[in-house]
Amino acid sequence: MSEFLTTVSSAVAWIKGLAGRHELFFPLKHGSANYSFQPAGPSADIQFEKYRPTIVPPVKKMLPARDTLFTFVKSPSGEPTVTPTLDTAPRILAGVRPCDLKGIHLMDTIFENGVADAYYAARRANTAVIAYACPKPCDDRAFCHAVDSLDHRAGADVILTPLKGDDMLVEALTDKGREMLAGVDFPKCADAAARKVGAVAARPEPFGRALGAKVSALPAVIKKQWKSDLWDKHTERCFSCGSCNLVCPTCYCFDVQDDLNLDTTSGHRTRTWDACMLPEFAAVAGGHNFRPNAAARQRHRVKRKFEYLTERFHEGAFCTGCGRCGRQCTAGIDILDIVKDLASAEVES
Amino acid sequence: MTTTHAHAKVSPDAYLPMMGKVVEVREMTARENYFRLELPRPLGHRPGQFVMVSVLGIGEAPISISNGPTTTNTLELVIRRAGRLTQVLSELKPGDLMGIRGPFGSGFDMSWFDGKEILIVAGGLGLVPLRSLIQPLVANADKYPSITLLSGCRNPAEELYREEVREWSKHPKLRVIRLVDGTENMPWDGEVGLVTAPIPKLDIKPDRTIAVLCGPPVMYKFVIIGLNQKNLPHDRIFVDLERRMKCGVGKCGHCQINDVYCCQDGPVFRFSEIEHLPEALL
Ligand SMILES: Cc1cc2nc3c(=O)[nH]c(=O)nc-3n(C[C@H](O)[C@H](O)[C@H](O)COP(=O)(O)OP(=O)(O)OC[C@H]3O[C@@H](n4cnc5c(N)ncnc54)[C@H](O)[C@@H]3O)c2cc1C
Ligand code: SF4
Ligand code: SF4
Ligand code: FES
Repeated sequence: MSEFLTTVSSAVAWIKGLAGRHELFFPLKHGSANYSFQPAGPSADIQFEKYRPTIVPPVKKMLPARDTLFTFVKSPSGEPTVTPTLDTAPRILAGVRPCDLKGIHLMDTIFENGVADAYYAARRANTAVIAYACPKPCDDRAFCHAVDSLDHRAGADVILTPLKGDDMLVEALTDKGREMLAGVDFPKCADAAARKVGAVAARPEPFGRALGAKVSALPAVIKKQWKSDLWDKHTERCFSCGSCNLVCPTCYCFDVQDDLNLDTTSGHRTRTWDACMLPEFAAVAGGHNFRPNAAARQRHRVKRKFEYLTERFHEGAFCTGCGRCGRQCTAGIDILDIVKDLASAEVES
Repeated sequence: MTTTHAHAKVSPDAYLPMMGKVVEVREMTARENYFRLELPRPLGHRPGQFVMVSVLGIGEAPISISNGPTTTNTLELVIRRAGRLTQVLSELKPGDLMGIRGPFGSGFDMSWFDGKEILIVAGGLGLVPLRSLIQPLVANADKYPSITLLSGCRNPAEELYREEVREWSKHPKLRVIRLVDGTENMPWDGEVGLVTAPIPKLDIKPDRTIAVLCGPPVMYKFVIIGLNQKNLPHDRIFVDLERRMKCGVGKCGHCQINDVYCCQDGPVFRFSEIEHLPEALL
């Protein structure tokens, strides 16, 4: 049995202890209002409840903004030696909220499907995840419950669930989780299932924003809306800046660039985040652009999250309800508003 | 923390190029060069597949494999100067190296063609990937009742594989119709007109013909209108599509056409598989 009952302060002490031994990331204050996953030492200000989702989701620790795929050095005859640069440094991501845990799980699905992506897989295999089951919505943009990610568990090694008072349920889900808890003297918890039910019952209702439709019905609903005016309506203000893509825990598209060092005989190939909202994303040589305007690009983004990937991978919606795209959009465009409109247009017709 | 997740294939090989040596370069037209490369090992490709071609330090782009399947280490490419990388590629000389990843994509299964009457429609650069299919078809011409090639380009100076196409046209089993949009006062021994023009006159048997198309986005629509008038079923029309591609292995998202990934599910599709996808052709 790998369920323990302890207190919030003991759980914090345990995490601080881990931080002394491993590279550990925890959401720490970044500026006046924002949080980001930063390296946390034994003296870090570790608090579970306070933070709303970080601007950049924790899954990007496995898929950094600039990821070097290999370096090369050319011999005088021009023959290059190519060296892959796999990052296998062990690390722990702690304080991961359910939406972000779902984000990690969905990214695992994508990058391990077909030809596994070695760069993501190497980081993932060496990353342990300590998740935290939210007892209340993190802020007024969240809609995790509406898209079925609030109770997500797959992908975590340990899940912490705050209970009544100062109690904390600690569950190890994997060998990695049990290893991290080895030697910790938390008391065993015999009635973990009942306590989890209690924690769910104690959550406020509604939990975050509602969708007005079942998320499982959305692929079929959105499929019918290819020609809807709503795509134009919801992109009138869009700057095509791509911020919504860059902060999303399930956006992974990338561009690839080569760089030559000043010696002109060595360099590296790097992938960098790309964004399907950027105008040239679907342009081909010769000038044809398969998604020539913002409405076509927004439609692609929304359908990717709620229809294309959902149907391809059978993992539910590829939007975790974290609310980041709405929070960060300069034009105030929020994917939940778009999806709600699409869903209710269907009801009317 | 020694435990690791169980992962499928986690080698970075898919992203690492092997080095192919240029052994022959020929200027084909003012914009396109033909390259023959020797690879460290045979590619083992199917017709219709592509490779990611790079010059280290400059960049990488998808390029179709132009030769038919072979057990040797030879790779043939035709590359049009379109931008930064392709400009650098066009300046390579025999002895220079190109980075090659692949082969990628679905390609054609030769068994689809057994016993069928075959119609191939190539527009401009579309002949480059289709040559990888035409070569094995010609080599086994006895298996097919007929093979017809419609090959169109803008003007006589832009014709690709000029000598080889003329050789094919001498083959008793092959009917080759070469067209240009206009001669622009250059000598021309083929027909003048769009690549769709001969279709109404062709003998297309809806129950026995297979059509294969590759060309610029606008071409597909008009060829398909022509084939619809002949009642050719859409599961026997194959299209070879183009998208921006950065990875070739279904990860970078660039080649996504609605819910399919062109680099893995394609670039060769049955028209029936993609006709319901609004972003497929235009
Ligand atoms: C499966 C497949 C097979 C292919 N096979 C071949 C082949 O056999 N031979 C061949 O010559 N080509 C082929 N191509 C096309 C080839 O990949 C492109 O021409 C190549 O990527 C150009 O790369 P580049 O770096 O030289 O050009 P780039 O610098 O990328 O520019 C290419 C052209 O596109 C324009 N462009 C660049 N960026 C943008 C943007 N953001 N928005 C709009 N336009 C832009 C440029 O102005 C330029 O004209 C194939 C493509 C695919 C997908
Ligand atoms: S962040 Fe907002 S303005 Fe920018 S591309 Fe996304 S929806 Fe458009
Ligand atoms: S689409 Fe928006 S709300 Fe949904 S997961 Fe991405 S950033 Fe979060
Ligand atoms: S080329 Fe990257 S997903 Fe297809």
